[in-house]
Amino acid sequence: MKRRVPIFILFFGAEIFLILAAFYLIIYFKNLPEIHTYVALFLGIYLFVRALVFIIIHSKTFTKINYILSIINDFKKGKFIAHHNNNHSNNSLSLIIKELSVMGRNLDSVLNSQKSEISKLRELYQNIVLSISSFFIVLNEKGDIIFANESFCKKFQFDLEDIIGKKIDSIFIFVTPTIKESIKSVLTKKEPIIIEKTHLLSSTSIAIVADIKISSMIVEGETQVILIIDDITAICKKDFQMNLISQVSETIQRDDEIESVLHAILIGVTSGSGLGFNRAMLFLIDNKEKKLVGKMAVGPDTMEEAIQIWSSVSACGIDIYSQLKSYQEKNHEKSNFINLVLNTSFSLKDTTNIFVQACHNQEYIHVYDAYNDPRISEEIRDFMGVKEFVVIPLISMNKSIGVIVADNKFNQAPIGQDSIDLLSIFAFQAALLIESYNNLHIIKKEMEKIQEKQEALIESEKLAAVGRIAAHIAHEIRNPLVTMGGYARRIIQLAKDTKEIIKNQDHIIKSASVVLKESERLEKTLSNVMDFSRTSSFIMEFNNINEIVLDTFELLKNLFQERRINCKLNLSEELPLVKSDFNQMKQVMLNLIQNAIDATPPQGEICISTKSNGQNVYISVKDTGIGIPPEDLNKIFEPFYSTKVTGVGLGLSIIKKIINDHNGDIAVTSSKEEGTEFVVKLPLPK
Amino acid sequence: MSKILIVEDEQNQRELYSMVLQEEGYEVDQASNGKEAVEKVKANKYDLVVLDIRMPEMDGIEALGKILSRDKKIPIIIYTAYSNYKSNFMTWTADAYITKSSNLNELKEKIAELLAARSK
Repeated sequence: MKRRVPIFILFFGAEIFLILAAFYLIIYFKNLPEIHTYVALFLGIYLFVRALVFIIIHSKTFTKINYILSIINDFKKGKFIAHHNNNHSNNSLSLIIKELSVMGRNLDSVLNSQKSEISKLRELYQNIVLSISSFFIVLNEKGDIIFANESFCKKFQFDLEDIIGKKIDSIFIFVTPTIKESIKSVLTKKEPIIIEKTHLLSSTSIAIVADIKISSMIVEGETQVILIIDDITAICKKDFQMNLISQVSETIQRDDEIESVLHAILIGVTSGSGLGFNRAMLFLIDNKEKKLVGKMAVGPDTMEEAIQIWSSVSACGIDIYSQLKSYQEKNHEKSNFINLVLNTSFSLKDTTNIFVQACHNQEYIHVYDAYNDPRISEEIRDFMGVKEFVVIPLISMNKSIGVIVADNKFNQAPIGQDSIDLLSIFAFQAALLIESYNNLHIIKKEMEKIQEKQEALIESEKLAAVGRIAAHIAHEIRNPLVTMGGYARRIIQLAKDTKEIIKNQDHIIKSASVVLKESERLEKTLSNVMDFSRTSSFIMEFNNINEIVLDTFELLKNLFQERRINCKLNLSEELPLVKSDFNQMKQVMLNLIQNAIDATPPQGEICISTKSNGQNVYISVKDTGIGIPPEDLNKIFEPFYSTKVTGVGLGLSIIKKIINDHNGDIAVTSSKEEGTEFVVKLPLPK
Repeated sequence: MSKILIVEDEQNQRELYSMVLQEEGYEVDQASNGKEAVEKVKANKYDLVVLDIRMPEMDGIEALGKILSRDKKIPIIIYTAYSNYKSNFMTWTADAYITKSSNLNELKEKIAELLAARSK
């Protein structure tokens, strides 16, 4: 650059010379010799060239200034990198340009790095937003939709432009009060709210179950509400399927009414998140009538009712039992829909009927357009009143037992293949449940019959116990009768002798009083026996257990004599009264003592004793028999256990039952050497 | 006069029989059970014994054996309310087996018959 200065001075000097020369020429112009003319011409040419050079030199400077201006303009526009035409000229403008372009490059690199940073971030956020499967919409303070994400629009089949500016009421068929209130609350309190398991039904008939998170944000001073909607329909469905069947079968175990069972099944079909059909009907085959008979229906009557149900019931909660309860409470006013189904039946011979067909073919039928489907009879069309529905046969043991018919009458949602598959599985389970219910029912009935028979058997066994001592009782009666007859004859004889009648008076009176006494004894014996025939009613009174023991002993006295068994009575004199049924307790004593007699060999001894400890009264019957083998001790109270040739083995089970009815207890101890002892414990009133 | 022992635990019956038989002209002794009867037979001589079977202490069957072991020839009438003892072979050793009745004629006739046979 230093080299340039002398050139510049040289030019400068030359120029001064030229200017001076030009002055010379102008002064001497008028009489110029020819040489001067040439010089002037030369000078003119030089000046021209010089002007040209000047112009050329300065035009370069202009270009550079323009170039700087364009760079600054570019800078203004945000363009920092100039085209690389720097011609390395050694002037200050070039320097500036150079500096500027360096600066530009620096700025550009800074900007670029920021740009990529930003685009990276943007990409990240975009990915995040995209990867959220949640649907979300943003509302302004007035509740107008100002944004909806792509998946929201896709799920509910809306165009974004169509829903912007609308209220959520107008894009969903119903918005529960909970959601509305929550939005309000979020706007005022600014705290996020989560609403779980809520039904959503769009105006485009897309129904889902969702967790909704409502939160607020402030954008440019304005509060906005974001609704993040998580579709949990699939999860709910799975949950639902998992416990639906077990719930239904639990219901079956709990209820003995087939109605409840059927209702439980249909609730499963319609229960919000489960299969989620709007209505379900159940028809079962009546084999006697050869008909497919409407048995049960679940579903709302009207759209209003449907909305009410959807907004009140928690979608995932499928507590069938509580739903059943509310059903049973409501049941007295059956809806029109239920009545319609209950009053409908189809002949199994009518093979044009699509329900019957489904039964016969054991295959489901999906009707897409009932109004134009030739398979659908007018009758069914009227009955269903809906375009699309599905008929699923209930098959158990390769045999159709009925059909489930389901539709989406109210939200008009199309029936998807997955719903049908699920319903088929469910129908299969339901069929098994109905079958097992029916079987259970039959078994229950049979059990009842057996129970009745058993009770009758017990009753007869009670009498049989009396019957076994009937012979002895007969003699108990015969003895007094013989005595009475004998004395009566004597009275007649004595009275015949009219002369001696005064003399025989004492004799006659004595004989008559014997007759009287014997008849009293007879009456007592009879009522003693009669006590056993009055067993059905249960009368709890305060009784003296000793009296019961003695009465029974009286009855069996003859038997003791016949078997030559000694009976020892060891009755506590201060025995408190026990609240008990006199006749039943007598039955207990009769059975116990009879057993003891049967177990005791001749010359043996039976000891009957009573005692009390203030809390209980104990009656002990101890024999000197052969004892009960230890392995049989826990079996003896079971019905039909018997070691005797006679009898059916109900004696001890009868005793056990009566004692239980008295809140008492019976214990047994037995050994081969010492015989058997039964101890009855009866509680005293506190 | 023939002497008869009545063995019967029912007091009223016992007294009735003895009254009736006394009126028939017999001398009557009473015992209320088998044990008493055996003692009385040991101590006295009877022409006939009317024996009930079902009695406390010692029943008629046992008493029957004891009486016969002492005096094989003494006529014994079993007089009981139970007909089922007829199957007990011990009762076969008695001279008669009569089921109790309010009508004592059968008993009286049997006593007369047995005593007549004995006196022959």
